[in-house]
Amino acid sequence: MILIHIALRNLLTHKVKSAIVGGLLVFAAFLIIVGLSLISSIDSSMSKSIVNSVAAHIQLQQKGAKDELSIFGQMGSNEIGYIHNFPEIRKALEALPEVAAVVPQGIDSSIVFGGNVLDVKLEALRNAVKAGDKIQTDVVRRHVRRMVALLDDELKNLKGFTDQEKMSDDMKSGLVDVTQANQPAFWDSFDQDPYSHLEFLENKIAKMAIGEDMLMLRYVGTDTERFRQVFDRFEMVDGTPIPPGQRGFLFNKFTYEEQVKHKTARRLDKIRDRLAEGAKVATDEEIKQWIKLNRTQYKEITFQLDDVATDAVKAALQAELASQETDLAKLVDAFMDVNDANFAKRYALFYKVIAPKIRLYGIRVGDTMTINGFSQSGYATTVNVKMFGTFRFHGLDRSTMAGAFNILDLMTYRDLLGYMTADKKAEIAKLQAESGVKELKRDSAEDELFGKGGGEVVEDTSDATPAQAAAATPTDAPAAATPTVVAAGNGGTGAKAFAKSLESHVYSQAEIDGGVIRNIAIMLKPGVDVKDGMIAVNRLIDENKFELKALDWRAASGLVGNFIGVIYAVLAFSIFIIFLVSLVIINNSLVMSTLERTREIGTMRAIGAQRTEILWMFVVEAFVMAIVFGAIGCAFGYGLVAYFGHFGLLAGNDFMVFLSGGPRFYPALPPWGLPVAMLAVMIVTLISTLYPAWLAMRITPLAAMQDSE
Amino acid sequence: MATTPSSQPIVHLSNVDKDYKLGAVTVTALRQVSLEIAPGEFTVIAGPSGSGKTTLLNLIGCVDVATRGQVIVAGQDTGKLAEGDLTRLRLNALGFIFQSFNLVGVLDAFQNVEFPLLLQKKMNAAQRKERVMDLLNRVGIAEYAHHRPGELSGGQRQRVAIARALVTLPRIVLADEPTANLDSVTGNQILDLMQELNREGTTFLFSTHDPKVVSRAGRVVRLVDGRIVAEETAEQYQTRQA
Repeated sequence: MILIHIALRNLLTHKVKSAIVGGLLVFAAFLIIVGLSLISSIDSSMSKSIVNSVAAHIQLQQKGAKDELSIFGQMGSNEIGYIHNFPEIRKALEALPEVAAVVPQGIDSSIVFGGNVLDVKLEALRNAVKAGDKIQTDVVRRHVRRMVALLDDELKNLKGFTDQEKMSDDMKSGLVDVTQANQPAFWDSFDQDPYSHLEFLENKIAKMAIGEDMLMLRYVGTDTERFRQVFDRFEMVDGTPIPPGQRGFLFNKFTYEEQVKHKTARRLDKIRDRLAEGAKVATDEEIKQWIKLNRTQYKEITFQLDDVATDAVKAALQAELASQETDLAKLVDAFMDVNDANFAKRYALFYKVIAPKIRLYGIRVGDTMTINGFSQSGYATTVNVKMFGTFRFHGLDRSTMAGAFNILDLMTYRDLLGYMTADKKAEIAKLQAESGVKELKRDSAEDELFGKGGGEVVEDTSDATPAQAAAATPTDAPAAATPTVVAAGNGGTGAKAFAKSLESHVYSQAEIDGGVIRNIAIMLKPGVDVKDGMIAVNRLIDENKFELKALDWRAASGLVGNFIGVIYAVLAFSIFIIFLVSLVIINNSLVMSTLERTREIGTMRAIGAQRTEILWMFVVEAFVMAIVFGAIGCAFGYGLVAYFGHFGLLAGNDFMVFLSGGPRFYPALPPWGLPVAMLAVMIVTLISTLYPAWLAMRITPLAAMQDSE
Repeated sequence: MATTPSSQPIVHLSNVDKDYKLGAVTVTALRQVSLEIAPGEFTVIAGPSGSGKTTLLNLIGCVDVATRGQVIVAGQDTGKLAEGDLTRLRLNALGFIFQSFNLVGVLDAFQNVEFPLLLQKKMNAAQRKERVMDLLNRVGIAEYAHHRPGELSGGQRQRVAIARALVTLPRIVLADEPTANLDSVTGNQILDLMQELNREGTTFLFSTHDPKVVSRAGRVVRLVDGRIVAEETAEQYQTRQA
């Protein structure tokens, strides 16, 4: 009691020392509380981001695969192995009491061409011609003719810059073709033989067209229905979910906006968002750059407008700009030169007048898109798949990390993957021998083939139905599931019909589960600790001798999962430094005060205080300091955390959105945070008290007499 | 508390030497000192600076041990005691009064006096309070019980120190130049108080080189260069000084 009293009195008496030591301890406690809150909150919110979007709690991959699964890690396919016996594994896993759901997955990236406007217009022209609609044919034809003229201009420009000798033969002949298509004679003769003209345009000109965006899309090939049910962050934005058992593609809304949307519109959106955040056109370099791009790339708009639309847009822009200018390019340029004052109005006008007349998204809900993969065996694969809509991971709509994942059905995924087991290859060889078909050279087959197997392309003279195709591939056969056999009928009509029926074909669960997959996501039941889940899953793998390796979400997510470890390390290191500094300073100041108190301590020793009692006096003093200042620091830290926990902290960028699992970050103090902080402060204080206490214990009663005699 | 009968001497020194090592040189501070202090004495160790007064007091006060010879305090041979036992002996059998008072600055007068009782852990709070207040009354500063040393005059502080020295009812109170830091009027008052206490039964042993203090002594032990050169009465001392 008297020791505590002396300790307290000492603290109050030696104010400077107490202020220094106290300040350090307060800061250390504050830092620990805030740091722990940040990290544990990031950890839990990020784990929610990762677990509930794609990774689930536990991931399985092939044991002994060359690369470890890295869901948020490197792009492109890596050698994470293959899983062939999913139905068996699924059955075993679902029997575990810890497991809530099991979802087959495969993550890959492929190239998709984001919609060639000329292609789209040519298809419209073909349809108009086929329908015999003279007026529509006329309107569309004039638009196509204008597009060809623009294209010719563009290419002539390009020719001026390019070294002729380095130009490929394809390029050279293409230039000649475009020039030819830009001759009045070509268009004068159009009506006489529209189909051959169309074919010339489709085969020779369209490929030369500008405005074709190459999209690199990352997708999860999965059992789309199960994915939708299991990952609760998943929600549809536009369109409909892929119907159960059907093929289909869902764009992540983030990717869709970033990559598929009309570039000018997208830039206007970005300017709007940036201005909403408080930026000014006049001072924001990035906004200036976007405006510059919008002005110079006016063709992205003008190229897409037919005569009627051109007139309407011209009129609207003339009115807005109060201009007599008749050149649309100049009008668009002037219109896009926005400033803080006119932006809102022009943005609205763009979406009211221009947007409805252009192709706002290169790929639209309901479109069939062509995905160009690169199979594991090293050849290019191409599949057509219907785009059903867009989705987002709730709260992660702005996150580039989670926003990069699109969703593809497993059947199409396997076609793109083009994975062939030895059994499968043998089987195909057998089928080929039986039906007497020969392989086609890829080059010549390409233009005519539509949906095709990821593996070898096989010609079949009859129009195959999906039923036949399915029958040709046993359900348990991995990879290249259904459409191995593809028709190459005249004009491709048979193939188109085939592709259409393929789109609406409903696969059974056995077929979906039956093929090869790359990894398996396991969602645990609520309240089950991931560690316990891992133990159960690993035991199951051992018991069943599955060739699988289990990774928890942290390991499976790749770099991002490690990220939390990195910030832990950074925090731990900075706390360590703070503590080290505190240790030195506290120790120093206590030594000073011990020396000052030499006579007092000597007196206590003289009048009968034991060494241990002196030690205790120091320990008590250290504890009092640690508790008082630690508590103050904790209170400050807790106050700050509680403040931001209530009001939230704006996640500054996309990565922060991912970390915080939403647009605002709400830090919370973990229940063990307070004891940990207090304990840490106490330990540091005690350690820094050791040396001064040892010094004090060595003070002899003689010190009390030092000034006598 | 010492258990030896009160007729026995409280302090018994025989042929005590005390050497100090100053680097390679050994300085002998006390030579062949033999001395007995009986209960009830009011003894002064007198001598010039450096004569070994404080060294002698330290040996008797069990804060230092003899190099040679025997020091028996309250029946215990201090040379044979461990550090902890010496401390216990100081706590239970001895009272200290220092030249600079040596009060604990952060404690008030009451707490300073109570401190040795807390170390003893023998009394409850009520008993301690009674004892402490009794002593503060006795030394005449009860009204300052809750003042801290910084708020007290030198004389008042030394009264607190005296109360602290007496609070454990020690066998002997050792006082090292207790009036050196006090003006002569205050010093006299302190000596009056100590004499009164002595008459009530407390044994005192002083060191001093102040003739006025010596004049109060019942017995004077004169120390020169670490040797006891004479044992005399205060009158004999004063006559010789004159």
